[in-house]
Amino acid sequence: MDGGYYRSKQVIAFLVPALVFFLAFNTYPLIEAFRMSFYNWNIVRPENSQFVGLANYMKAFSDPIFWTSMKNTVLYALVTVPAQMALGLLVAMFLNFNLPGTKVFRTIYYLPVISSWVVVSLLFRYLFNGEAGLVNYILVDLLQIFPSYVSWFRNASTALFVIMLLGIWKGVGWSMVIFLAGLQGIPTELREASMIDGASSGQHFWQVVLPILRPTMGFVAIMLVIGGFNVFTSVFLVTGGGPLHRTEVLLTYMYYQGFERLNFGYGAALSYILGIIIFVISVIQLRLFQKPVEM
Amino acid sequence: MGQKRFSLMIALVVLVILAQIGVVSAQKVTLTYWHGYNPVETRHFEETIIPLFEAKHPNVTVEAVAVPYDQFYQKIIVSIAGGMVPDLIRADLAWVPQLANLGVLVPLSKEMVDFEVYKNKVFPGTLEPNFWAGEYYGLPLDTNTRVLFWNKELFSAADLSGPPATFGEFLQYAEILAELEGVWGYAEGGTGGWNVLPLMWSNGGQLTDDEITRATGYLNSPSNVELLELLVEMLERGSLGPSILGDGFSTADGYAQGRYGMIIDGPWMVSIFADQYDDFEAQMALLPSGDGGSVSVVGGQDIVVFEGSKNKEAAFDFIRFMLQDEIQLSMAEVGQMPVIQHLEESSYIQEHPFYGIFFEQMKTARARTPHPEWPEIDRVLGNAVTRVLMKELTAQEALDEAAQEIDVLLQ
Repeated sequence: MDGGYYRSKQVIAFLVPALVFFLAFNTYPLIEAFRMSFYNWNIVRPENSQFVGLANYMKAFSDPIFWTSMKNTVLYALVTVPAQMALGLLVAMFLNFNLPGTKVFRTIYYLPVISSWVVVSLLFRYLFNGEAGLVNYILVDLLQIFPSYVSWFRNASTALFVIMLLGIWKGVGWSMVIFLAGLQGIPTELREASMIDGASSGQHFWQVVLPILRPTMGFVAIMLVIGGFNVFTSVFLVTGGGPLHRTEVLLTYMYYQGFERLNFGYGAALSYILGIIIFVISVIQLRLFQKPVEM
Repeated sequence: MGQKRFSLMIALVVLVILAQIGVVSAQKVTLTYWHGYNPVETRHFEETIIPLFEAKHPNVTVEAVAVPYDQFYQKIIVSIAGGMVPDLIRADLAWVPQLANLGVLVPLSKEMVDFEVYKNKVFPGTLEPNFWAGEYYGLPLDTNTRVLFWNKELFSAADLSGPPATFGEFLQYAEILAELEGVWGYAEGGTGGWNVLPLMWSNGGQLTDDEITRATGYLNSPSNVELLELLVEMLERGSLGPSILGDGFSTADGYAQGRYGMIIDGPWMVSIFADQYDDFEAQMALLPSGDGGSVSVVGGQDIVVFEGSKNKEAAFDFIRFMLQDEIQLSMAEVGQMPVIQHLEESSYIQEHPFYGIFFEQMKTARARTPHPEWPEIDRVLGNAVTRVLMKELTAQEALDEAAQEIDVLLQ
């Protein structure tokens, strides 16, 4: 059909700019990195790179720092995703009551989301500085909860705690907004109906609200897990993976191998391992959350 | 269209083309230069030095890029990989063997016709790190070393009359200063070679043998083990600041704010202190001398040209310009110590309030191991010291292990 051909020409014209960028900055690097992951990649003279087969992938499994970074990444996702979802939902429910000042609070909760990762990471570094930080001052000098200053960044567990706290604080606002949209989509008739049926507000929440929010929760969970596995800026700036690679996550370790050690082949292999993990988890999550809502 | 008009148009087109050819022949050259100067130095370099060069070379524009120092090496590697190198850079002397080894630098001794003139003008010690596989790949641009900075107010508060002269006094003073409320006696900014080698050398220790073939028997010697054990104790007792493990105040801020009694740092810090702390006056002295003497570490920057540069001759002109006496002295005003030998006798340096100490310290200062694997060696050393300070390994265990790793790197 003439019109159809004309229309598709128009569509193509609109698609081309975005497509070109996508191919150049997403697809091409993706393919190139895949190729690199099978080589002992020579960054200055790529033609002299040595084909090593799966050696880069095998290397990861016997690399203790890879496992540390894997463990930290999983831990980060396990802690920050549920925390952001629970807090986000809680805040969204309060804001959904439409009390006075709701808009102000909504903005306040959303502010961390739009602030730059770099700025807030550096801020957290200052706040948790072992000698000059505000947090130690409050905990030790003001409230006297701890007997002496905590060197937050000197051991891995407290350093990771700070990084997770930063992740949660920065992310709550985002899940809040998504949940708020979900909550506002629930017709008020349902609340009236469950009241008439004699449901308590707790029952209403667990039996009515949560099931309806399930697709929303699925979306939030998938996005947050992907974000959690991609954690980079905060770790990179707050601890740099240190001390002694103890707080390394997959992406910072990949960056370290690529850009500091110049092992681009190994770095590319690490990025593919991460990609596979995220892919598998997302498929599982999609299955879990896409069951139809039973009402 | 009339005949006249047509010929007029032809004439115009020809004129435009001719003009363009003229422009091309006198074309402006742009030199891209990555330097990594600190903010005070950058201001001086961009506002004073570059205009002078551009006035002398009207067809050359210098595009100076202040790359943050801690990301400099990565950025340059990435741009080499991408084939988009600057014309020339100010490179840390420790990077030159590696860059030369990658084959991306212009061998100045081969391609710069008057290289010998400059080779003979600069301090031999500053020239040496530029030598790789038979050629010189750079020329020194500035030099420096680390000396002892002591906080006068804290010293008088602790009834100490002046800086420590011996290693023993240094340790003793650190303890005494730490007794002041909220004060650490001595602070260091990290655990790498730049940070710990002056202490090791002054204490009589070594990293490798003189031929740079092995570290076992040198790095894990009794004097180095003793030094690390001492640092662990000092960190515990509060006479060594937490900054050595990247915590607490930075060495510069802690020193200027009266938290750290002593730090070890370079000449560029003086202008930074003046810029950020109005009433503070930095006090400098030679490193305290121990069994090995008063031995500091040589730092400094070289200027190197990339093979990928399309303006090599202009780049050489820029190098010649930067090594002129006036320019070297001008950069000295913001803390860049000159590399031209005869300037040491100049009245400027002779009358200078603190360069004397640095030149004196330079006489016994040593270079970090000139080896393409240096960044890796540095990493092994830093990790070993960190693990000792975090009390994961004993000094002996960590240094034995590190020495073995470095042996492999040196082969």
